[in-house]
Amino acid sequence: MARLIRTEKEVEGRYEEVWLVVEEDALDQWPEGPLDVVGRPAARIDGLERARGEAVYTADVQLNGMLHAAMVRSPHAHARARSVDLAPALALPGVHAAIGPGEIPKLADLCGYQGAPVAAVCADTEAQARAAAAAVVVDWEVLEPLVDPDEAVRRGQLLSEPRVRERGDYERGLEEADVVVSGEFRTQTVLHNSMETHQSVVRWVGDELEVHVSTQYVWGVRDELASGLGLPADRVRVICNYMGGGFGSKNDAGDYTFVAAELARRTGRPVRCALSRREEHLAAGNRNATIQRLTIGARSDGTLTALGGEFVNAVGWGGWVAATDGPMHALYACPNVRSTLYGAKLNTPPMKAFRAPGFVEGTFGLETLLDELAAKLDLDPLELRRRNHADADASDGRPFSSKNLLECYRRAEPHWERRHEVRARSTDTVKRGVGMASQVWYGGGGPPSYAWVRVGSDGRAAVVTAMQDIGTGTRTAMAQIAAEELGIPLDHVTVSLGDTARGPYATLSAGSSTTPSIGPAVRAAAADARRQIEEIAEQRGTPGAPLAEVVSVLEDAQILGKGARGPNPTGMQVLTFGVHVAEVAVDVETGEVRVERVAAIHDVGRVINPLGAASQIEGGVIQGIGHTLSEERLLDPATGAVLTTSLDAYRLPTIADVPEIVSELVDVPDRHLTNLGSKGLGEPPIVPIAAAIANAIRDATGADVRSLPITREELLRALREAAERERRGAPAAV
Amino acid sequence: MELRRPSSLAELPASPGDGAVLLAGGTEVVPLIRSGLLHAETLLDVRAVVPRGIDGTRIGAATTLAELESSDEVPDAVREAARLAASPQLRNAGTLAGNLLQATRCWYWRLGRPCRLHGGDECFARTGEHREHAIFANGFCASAHPSDLAAALLALDATVETTARMLPVGELYRLPTTADRRVTTLEPGEAIVRIDVPAPERSVYLKAMDRARWSFPLVGVAAARTGGETRVALAGVAPVPWLLAGGDVDGATPLPRNAWKVDVARALVRRALAAVA
Repeated sequence: MARLIRTEKEVEGRYEEVWLVVEEDALDQWPEGPLDVVGRPAARIDGLERARGEAVYTADVQLNGMLHAAMVRSPHAHARARSVDLAPALALPGVHAAIGPGEIPKLADLCGYQGAPVAAVCADTEAQARAAAAAVVVDWEVLEPLVDPDEAVRRGQLLSEPRVRERGDYERGLEEADVVVSGEFRTQTVLHNSMETHQSVVRWVGDELEVHVSTQYVWGVRDELASGLGLPADRVRVICNYMGGGFGSKNDAGDYTFVAAELARRTGRPVRCALSRREEHLAAGNRNATIQRLTIGARSDGTLTALGGEFVNAVGWGGWVAATDGPMHALYACPNVRSTLYGAKLNTPPMKAFRAPGFVEGTFGLETLLDELAAKLDLDPLELRRRNHADADASDGRPFSSKNLLECYRRAEPHWERRHEVRARSTDTVKRGVGMASQVWYGGGGPPSYAWVRVGSDGRAAVVTAMQDIGTGTRTAMAQIAAEELGIPLDHVTVSLGDTARGPYATLSAGSSTTPSIGPAVRAAAADARRQIEEIAEQRGTPGAPLAEVVSVLEDAQILGKGARGPNPTGMQVLTFGVHVAEVAVDVETGEVRVERVAAIHDVGRVINPLGAASQIEGGVIQGIGHTLSEERLLDPATGAVLTTSLDAYRLPTIADVPEIVSELVDVPDRHLTNLGSKGLGEPPIVPIAAAIANAIRDATGADVRSLPITREELLRALREAAERERRGAPAAV
Repeated sequence: MELRRPSSLAELPASPGDGAVLLAGGTEVVPLIRSGLLHAETLLDVRAVVPRGIDGTRIGAATTLAELESSDEVPDAVREAARLAASPQLRNAGTLAGNLLQATRCWYWRLGRPCRLHGGDECFARTGEHREHAIFANGFCASAHPSDLAAALLALDATVETTARMLPVGELYRLPTTADRRVTTLEPGEAIVRIDVPAPERSVYLKAMDRARWSFPLVGVAAARTGGETRVALAGVAPVPWLLAGGDVDGATPLPRNAWKVDVARALVRRALAAVA
C-alpha cells in the first residue's frame, strides 16, 4: 500500500527533507551469499553491442535534416559583452540561425569564467557552425578576474554562507590531547573527461520536445527543460540508451541542450549541440580545488580527542559547496569536531559533482594527517584506525544500518603485512613503502524508483524502467536481479531503459545510488510477476511448477508485475565503507612515484555482480591514481585562462600507469536496507586512494606530502623538508 | 587547402611565402593547422620522396619512430629516445625529421597567445605558469624543446643532410632572438633528407615523465661516449635541444617554479654518465 512519509533524501552527500509517497517493501531479503544468478559474475548483457559499435550513443544519433550548433564562448575569465554582432555569422554559407545573450537564459552578456557561453549558431555541418561561431563579433569589456580562493574568502565573495559544524567541545578536546598535529593540504582542480563529451540532439515533434542527451538523469533533464521552456512535463521526452560516462558532470540538462532546443524551435529542424574536447576542458564542470587547514589532537594511546578543519572549496563561478568537511565528521568516533567550510566564488569554470565530491578531497587531507599522527605516536596506522572506529554515527548517535569496516580492516591485514617485505626491496635511490587509508561515503540510495516486469508465454522476461546506465553495468545488474527472482536464466531477461516515454520513473545515476535505489524496485516487480505465475500454477493444479511450464499456456496473455523502491530504514545512518592499501616505489633523486599494487577492500552490502563490481573498483582506483599523481587543470594566474585545454597538457593516466589491483568485497547484505541489502559502489573506490598513496610515500621515504597532484616538484619538496627536519634533530617519520 | 604529392625532392618549392608546408607523419602539422598555429595553402606529402629506412649509420628522414625503436642498428640512445616518445600509434606515423622539427609544448604558445615565439613582446610563461618550462637559456623565451630524439642525436654529434647542405645537428637549432624568432636554421623550402649518426662506444637516453608513457620529456638526458669524449645533451630544458657544457647543470637559471627540474636533470645526468662510463 502506498504511504506518505516525510524523509531525508540524500544525493552526493547533500540532504533535503522531502515528502514522499512510498510503497512498503514487503519482501524478505534473499539469503546471504551467491545465489543462482545474483552474486555470480556476469558479463555485460550489452557488452557485444557496445564492442561492435551497434549501441547508439547520443553521439551516434543522426536525424533527418539535423543541423549542428556551436557556441560562442568568452575568451576571458571575467568580461561583459558590450555588444554581440551575429550578422557576420548569419552571412556565412550553411548557417541557419544564431542567438545572442538574453535570447535564452543560458546565454548571458556577463561572463564569469573563460568558456561561458554568450551566443550560439547552427549550420548544416559542424565545421560551418564552428566557423560561424568564430565569425560572431563580440565587443568585450574585460573585467578583473578573481582566481585566488583565500582572497575570495577574505573579500566575502562566497557562493553561500560558510558552514560551521561542531560536535562536543573542540577546544577542550585539544586541551585533552597529548599530541597535536596540523597541516595545510591542497587538492587541485581535475576534469571528468568522459569519453563521450556533453551533448544533445533535440527536435520538436509537433508541440512535443524530443531530446537525445548524454545524461545521468533522464527525468531530471525532462523536468528542467519543461520548467525552463514553460512546457508540461509530459511534452518533453528524454532518451539516453547508452552513454559514454558522466562521473557526476551530466546530472543536469546543460546549456547545450537549451541552446539546441531554441535553435531547433527557430529552424524547425533537429539540432545537435556537442562540446569538443577543448570545450569539455573549459565548460563541462570539474572537481574544484580545495585548501584544507587541519588539526588532529590525540592521547598518547591514539584516541582522538579533537578534529578541526578550515576548508576552502574553490567552487568557481557556479556550482555548490561539496562536503570536504564530510570525512572529518563521519569517519571516526572522535567526540570533539569543529569545521568551517567556505565556498569561494571565483572567475573559474563552475564545478560539478565528480565521483564522491568533497569526500575524495577531504579524505586525502584527513587520512594523510592521521598517518603523520601515527608516525608521531609511533603507532601502527591500522591499529590507530581501529582504536577510533565509530560504532554509531558520531554526530547524532544513530546506529548504522550496517557497517563492516572492521572486517575490511581484518581483510586488509595480509596486504598491510607485506610492508616489511616491500620496504626491504628498497635501494639507495628507489624507496618502497606501503600506505593505507579508510573510506566513508554515502551510497544507500532511496525512494522513489519504479520498475515493471513483463513475462510472456515464451518464458522470457522484460524489465522496463526509465533509468539510465551511466556505463557502470547497471543494465546487467537489473537483469540479474529479475532473473534471480523469477528463477530463469540471465539470457532470458532483457532490460528496456533510458526513455521517459517508455517506463516508470527511476532515480538518477549519481551518488552511488542506482543499484540500491532501482534494484529493489526491479526485484519487487519481478516478485509481483512471480506471485501471479504461482497463482496460475495453483489454479492449474501444478503448484511449484517451473515458470516456463506455467506460462507456456498463456499464448498472447502476459504477466505484468510492478514494483517500487521502499523507504530507507528509519532512524539509521546508511553509509559505505572500505580501506585501500597501496604500495609505491619512489625514486628519491628524480621524484618519480610509481604505484605498484593496490588492494581495495569495500563494504557495500550485497554484491549483485562481482565482475561488474571489480570493474568499478578498478576504474575508481585508476581514476584516483590520475587524481593523485598526474592530472591537474592549470590556470594562468594573471588572467584566469585555462592552460590545459588539450589531452597532452592535461594528463590522464595511461594503462602503463595502472598497478596490480586486488579488489575484495565483504559482500554481507545490509539487513536493514531494502529487499536487496545492497549499497552502491560507483564512488567508494576513488575516495581513499590518494591518501593511501601519500601514506605509502611517507612509509617509503619519511616525506610528508601535502598537495595533489604529487608531482616531482611536490615530492622533491617534501623530501627536502624531511631531510631538513632530520638534520635539525627532530624525529623522522620512519 | 591543397594536398600535393611531389614525385621528387627537386620539386619542393624553394621560394618562401608560398604557403607550402611539408607533411610526413602529420602528427604535428595537422594539429598545428587545426589549432590555427600553422597556415598552409598547400600541403606537400613528401613520404614518397624522402628516404626512409636505416642504412648503416645513415637514417632516412622519413623513418618512423616505430622503426627506430625496433632497430638493432641504431645507437641505444636513439632507440630509447624513440621508444620513450609518444604512444605506439603516434610512433607508427611520426617520422625522425618531423620529431626534430616539432614545436614546443609551451601552453601559452600552443594557445596562440602573442608571446615572443609568436613574434610578440612578452614571455607569458616567465611571469605565469612555468613549472615545466626551460631552465637554460630562458631569458628571452622560456619554452622547452620537446624532442627526445634531438637530444639523443645532439649527444651523438649526428650530422644532418638537408636538400641544401650538411650540418651538425647542433647547428640545426638556434635560440630565438628579438630579430629572429625561429628555433631552427632551416631555410624556407629546405628539407631534412637524412641523418648520419656515428656509432658511439656507448650511449643512453633517460627520460623523466609525469606518467609512464605518452608524455613529453619533463627532462630528457642523452649521453654518448665516443673515443675519450662523452657528450651529454638534454631535452625539455631549453628552447632548443641543449648540449651540456662541462657535464653538469650548475649553469641552469631556473624560474621560481621550476627549480625542481634542475634537481631531476642533475640526477639523470649523473646516471647517464655512469651508464656510458
